[in-house]
Amino acid sequence: MESKHEQLNWQDWIEAHGPRLLLCARQWTRSLADAEDAMQEAFVRYWRHQRHLPGDPHALLVTSIRRAAIDMARREGRRIAREQRSEMSQEVDDQLFTKLPGEGDERRQEIEIALQQLPEEQREVLVLKIWQEFTFEQIAAALEIPANTAASRYRYALNALRKQLEPLCHG
Amino acid sequence: MDDTLQNLENELKRLPARKPSVHFMEELQRELGTVTPALNARPALGLARWRTWSWAAWSLVGAAAGLVIMAVVQPKPAGVVTKAAPEVPLASISPTLAPGVPANRYEPVKATSVLYDLNEEGLTTLPDRSEGRQLRYRFVDTYTWKNPTTNASLRWSVPRDEVRLVRANLD
Repeated sequence: MESKHEQLNWQDWIEAHGPRLLLCARQWTRSLADAEDAMQEAFVRYWRHQRHLPGDPHALLVTSIRRAAIDMARREGRRIAREQRSEMSQEVDDQLFTKLPGEGDERRQEIEIALQQLPEEQREVLVLKIWQEFTFEQIAAALEIPANTAASRYRYALNALRKQLEPLCHG
Repeated sequence: MDDTLQNLENELKRLPARKPSVHFMEELQRELGTVTPALNARPALGLARWRTWSWAAWSLVGAAAGLVIMAVVQPKPAGVVTKAAPEVPLASISPTLAPGVPANRYEPVKATSVLYDLNEEGLTTLPDRSEGRQLRYRFVDTYTWKNPTTNASLRWSVPRDEVRLVRANLD
């Protein structure tokens, strides 16, 4: 069976799915520059060699990006160089989301800060569930954890976010 | 899930993830180019042909090793040690190409066996209960393939131990 992405070129593919994948990558890296490097490594491999494979390309890419991020963290030399590069841009432009049209930017900033304060294992589950729209079974496969654990981490993450954002939460 | 959590979940889903940077797109452009190759396309010709013929090549390795071993195992008078076996031309065992098979492939061109160590490991009893000596020969076998079209060559060297039992010379 052909992938639904076969008719696209890679620019269209990145346009459609790149932001969400980059958000995922950012959960496993120390900076946006690291996240883009991990995503680049995974995406180039996918586009060259894995596009024809059956199954969900998003699940494949998320797993691949996560592994690339883990490998990257182990390569100390590259990381130091990248940190020096990223430190220059991080303060200026390391936000996870773009501003919603027609709305103020304060809420986005609040949510980003709250997200960063979540434990990593909860944050990665939340990001995969909300922005990748993975099922708990897919999250479990990607993170190599039981599906029940994924579900409970998701609930913990949402509760923690609600607590932090409470004054501004609706309802 | 209560209403506040549901509202928070919906609010998070509405947040658009940021796009990858211009630098990221430039890196992908450099890696993937603008022209996307057709999906399910065959790999590069050279690689495809090598993959096609790799099994044949490994079979030839086995055949070449067999020939070398047969040449070495020929009975010789005790005490006579050959320093290096003569090169064995392998063209004669190269398979005939089937019609339509491209000629751009690796062909075995040389097999050598170099003796680099010989130890007498003492007296032993031969299967016919006569007295004999155990000799250990140490070789390095080298096999070479060459692609006549590209002039690329591939060389494989393996160490090999050979134990010979020779009748004790009582003269």
